[in-house]
Amino acid sequence: MINESPQVDTKDIARAQRIPFEFSGKAGEYFKIWIVNILLTILTLGIYSAWAKVRRKRYFYGNTHLKDSTFEYHAQPVQILKGRLIAFGAFVVYTAVNAMLPLAAAVLAILFVFAVPWLVIKAHAFNSRNSSYRNLRLNFKGNYTKALAVYIGLPILSVITLGLAYPAYMYHRTKFVVANSAYGTAPFSFTATAGGFYVIALKAVGMAVAAAVFFTVLVAGLGGLPTMVAQPATPVGGPVALLIIVGGILAFSAIRAYLDTTITNLVWSNVSASNNQFQSTLRTRYMLWLYLSNAVAIVLSLGLLIPWAQIRTMRYRLENLKLLAKDDLDGFVAREQQKVDSAGEEVSEFFDLDIGI
Amino acid sequence: MKVLKADFYDGNTSARQEVEIQFEPTGQLRITGLERELIFPLSQLRISPRIGNTPRSIYLPSGAKCEALDNDTIDSVLERYGQSSWQSFLHKLESRLVYVALALVITVISVWGLVQYGVPALAERVARSLPTSVDETLGREALSVLDQHFFSPSALDADRQRELRTLLAGITQRIEDTHTYRLEFRSGVGANAFALPSGLIVVTDELVQLAENDNEILAVLAHEVGHVVHRHQLRRLLQDSATVLIIASIVGDVTSLTSLAAALPTLIIEAKYSRDFESEADQFALRYLRDNNIRPRHFADILLRMEKQKPSPGLGGGYLASHPATKERAKLFQDND
Repeated sequence: MINESPQVDTKDIARAQRIPFEFSGKAGEYFKIWIVNILLTILTLGIYSAWAKVRRKRYFYGNTHLKDSTFEYHAQPVQILKGRLIAFGAFVVYTAVNAMLPLAAAVLAILFVFAVPWLVIKAHAFNSRNSSYRNLRLNFKGNYTKALAVYIGLPILSVITLGLAYPAYMYHRTKFVVANSAYGTAPFSFTATAGGFYVIALKAVGMAVAAAVFFTVLVAGLGGLPTMVAQPATPVGGPVALLIIVGGILAFSAIRAYLDTTITNLVWSNVSASNNQFQSTLRTRYMLWLYLSNAVAIVLSLGLLIPWAQIRTMRYRLENLKLLAKDDLDGFVAREQQKVDSAGEEVSEFFDLDIGI
Repeated sequence: MKVLKADFYDGNTSARQEVEIQFEPTGQLRITGLERELIFPLSQLRISPRIGNTPRSIYLPSGAKCEALDNDTIDSVLERYGQSSWQSFLHKLESRLVYVALALVITVISVWGLVQYGVPALAERVARSLPTSVDETLGREALSVLDQHFFSPSALDADRQRELRTLLAGITQRIEDTHTYRLEFRSGVGANAFALPSGLIVVTDELVQLAENDNEILAVLAHEVGHVVHRHQLRRLLQDSATVLIIASIVGDVTSLTSLAAALPTLIIEAKYSRDFESEADQFALRYLRDNNIRPRHFADILLRMEKQKPSPGLGGGYLASHPATKERAKLFQDND
């Protein structure tokens, strides 16, 4: 329906309205896309995977709604294919050099370390500039020196400090991504503090220690610890082993679910653009239920329920993401758009550096 | 032609305007509802490929775009004016249940074929093209790591060690192979023998004591030499990396979602490859023993004695076991005795 009445100032009515994200993906529909993607990827010996990725991302973006509009993913499959070929080529060269001249390979590895910050920036730029909402692209611009400090310096510091600096690394990494992103000309700002990450990390460590103590006491009570844990290829048999395995998986999943939900909530609830504030309200218990039920469903269905698991997880995540909007979201303005080559994005995905927020 | 409701985004701001679009019989697109009417010939427009029932983008030359939900109408227009891209074929595949079922069957068969034949054949070919010097770099540090964490020094006297080394030399002289074989002795991990890709074979004191005659030790050495000759460690490395890639490409980004679900098939496939390598090493040992007139039952005897001493765990109904069942392995040697 087109509103025929004269325009009123909608700003007052819409002041700080809570706009929920919605996800309309359907497991049955996505299953068909997914299985065709796999089939054609196999039949083309992997070449189709670039098209598969674009179709998958377009499906998820196109089903993500915010205030009557959806998101769109714009990357061209050929760009992604090119990036993948470059990444694959680099990997082959490195492997060959490593087999013949280990010393030269070490030099290459060091060079690669210095390429990582550049790749990270390229990857985020590629992803941002190929994402749009209401025909306005996201944007990302990062400084190499800062990226070097964040992605190389802080991990090294984390190792030296035996992990003490790791939450600071998570904080700076997220901040680097968020604060260097923009929607149109509107930059995102990130208001979380490193302290928030430390609180979460401390709680997670506490949970891990508690679980370890609990199982040690339980196993000791049930008939003593196995004496030769270190023996290879000879796992301890019987119900005690089963208890350790099942309990371990549960405890591990619970801690992961806790980290996943609390960090997602912390990050999104501290992201804003032009006074529009995001808010994420995931709950650990439900996330744990999703993890476990997805794992059981996938194993029992021999993988056929993977699309279903992806869809329901995405729905839960997005239904708990809201935008506290101060205005009607119509006021964002485009910036000059530029293409970015996809090698950075795909190379970093190939080496599993693709960090999502 | 039908009038469709659409959203118009000019590309300069994030404002959304509701418009109506209509495909004219002349092959033009008319957009109404803006300040002034817009008309474009279809040839100037780019229309995004259909994916499920997500909104369709119609990109205008100015950088603006229209988004419409009526995918079927847009498809029929594109078809009528011959603007249909090859990607519309993909949507046909993705929307007919028959094709999807067919895709499912072909996918399952291809994955099975790839895992069963493709990956092992490819790994073998790659391994064959790599010089044996690669094998030496593979396990260079392995022994010192094992020494630090698992092994204790051997208590066998030097004469006995020399006798057994002659035994190994006897085997390696009779085969054509470019690896440099060495035999080392350790203790502390029960009766067992290990082979490193470089040709270094480690036998434990416990195994030497468990053996009732030297032919039994010879049979075990032949099995380990089989691993080295067939370059199992290099091939395992290649096959396992390929497996991880295949599984990752199938489960996609679900790996971060439920890593367990992705890890299990990987483990099952890797265990299967490991069992295949053991069988191949057994076959090598069997052939060697028969060619040199040594009774194959010696291998079965020591294998069964090891099993009796320390039963192997029946992991995951055998699907996760690194070795085939001992009884079956022994039977192969007893049947061919």
